[in-house]
Amino acid sequence: MTETYETKIEQLRIIIGKIEDGNTSLDESMKLYEQGAVLVKQCETLLAEAELKITTLSRDA
Amino acid sequence: MDWFNTPEDLSGKKAGPLLVSELSALISGLLDDPRLQDIRVRGEITNYKHHGRGHRYFSLSEKGGGSTAAVIKCVMWRSDADRLPFDPEEGMEVVVSGSVTLYAPHGAYQLQVKGMEKAGLGEKYLLVEKWKKELAAEGLFSLDRKRDLPRFPNRVGVVTSETGAVIHDIRNVLERRYPVEIIISPTAVQGETAHTEIALAIRRVAGLVDVVIVARGGGSFEDLFPFNNPAVVRAIAASPVPVVSAIGHEVDVTLADLAADVRAPTPSAAAELVVPDRNALLLGLQEQKARLGTALLGRLARAREEVMAFRDRLRPERFVRTIAERTQNTADLAERLERACSTRIERERLLLAEMKAALVGRSPLAVLARGYCVAEKDGKLVKSTGALSKDDRLKLRFYDGSSQAIVERVDHDRNV
Repeated sequence: MTETYETKIEQLRIIIGKIEDGNTSLDESMKLYEQGAVLVKQCETLLAEAELKITTLSRDA
Repeated sequence: MDWFNTPEDLSGKKAGPLLVSELSALISGLLDDPRLQDIRVRGEITNYKHHGRGHRYFSLSEKGGGSTAAVIKCVMWRSDADRLPFDPEEGMEVVVSGSVTLYAPHGAYQLQVKGMEKAGLGEKYLLVEKWKKELAAEGLFSLDRKRDLPRFPNRVGVVTSETGAVIHDIRNVLERRYPVEIIISPTAVQGETAHTEIALAIRRVAGLVDVVIVARGGGSFEDLFPFNNPAVVRAIAASPVPVVSAIGHEVDVTLADLAADVRAPTPSAAAELVVPDRNALLLGLQEQKARLGTALLGRLARAREEVMAFRDRLRPERFVRTIAERTQNTADLAERLERACSTRIERERLLLAEMKAALVGRSPLAVLARGYCVAEKDGKLVKSTGALSKDDRLKLRFYDGSSQAIVERVDHDRNV
């Protein structure tokens, strides 16, 4: 899990908000949609491929 | 037993010798003294034996002056021993409760133990109460201090024993819910110096992670005692990142739990609290994905409506009508222009004819045509007889030609 997941999902929310907002041009909306689709894919990959990593600290530190 | 019905003397003593069993019964009766029943005795456990059937045999002894000053044999039946929250050990200082009984077959008195607690436990309870007051006064348990857990931690620190079920449970839950990086900060979780180790382990890991779990499996009040220590409480309170505690069972509340930002009932629950559920995230992502599509479709629909509206405003009939109007206007203008021009030309033509007529009327030739002629002398028109002398040569111009004439005589009419 990552900050990047958090930022990506936040970006996605902003993009959707912009497309839903009637003031965004159609051209811009299409571009935003493409960006959004990429973000969704990346988020899915992040969630699917995350792996547990374990480190044990030394006790004498 | 008094088969011969021997009369007893006044002191109550039998005249004959007692049977061992009689003596034994007598002693047993004496031991029924309330001062020896349901009493609490403090001492050190020695010669501890855990019998195969579950009964515990040991001695309770008191040291004094370097050697054993007093000792009493003890027995604890399995039914009672099974309820102990800890395993008694050789050398352990304990307070037992029970009654003194006689075991006739061995001719020995013993303490039949019903309950046992570690010595000093009462003091420890008091100590925890004292610490609680002090630490509360410092504000370490204040609700204002509680921080929210990060939604998406990168690294989770786990302060617990390296071995045992706790780290396993946490690991399993994290792996299932959302695999993050776990940094284990190992520590002893019970024993004389555990509190120092735990505090150190917290400080060691807190700067490296986004959230810390301090966990320990269930245990007795004594086992959990280090988690009441101010050193541990302060380390939790001083942690730069939020701390989730999961110490003992839900009913055991340690001071560490009170100082933690969030208290979880179990280590597994703590793990669930620190990371989001991957499946829930995926579901949420699906929703976002759907919303993304819907949003674009909506935007397209709006764009289409806009285009329709514009197309309505750009209808060809309107164009045709406009063009026709313009054509009509142009035609009208052309006609007006033409009319204006021809009128003007006509007028000019009339004017010209008039002028021509006037011109023709004034032409000398017209006069000549009526039978007159003009005389010219030396190329100049002769208008008066005064300009003439005898023998002047004249040119007489007629309408259809001219002739040469010589003046014979000049007659002047009256003075003109």
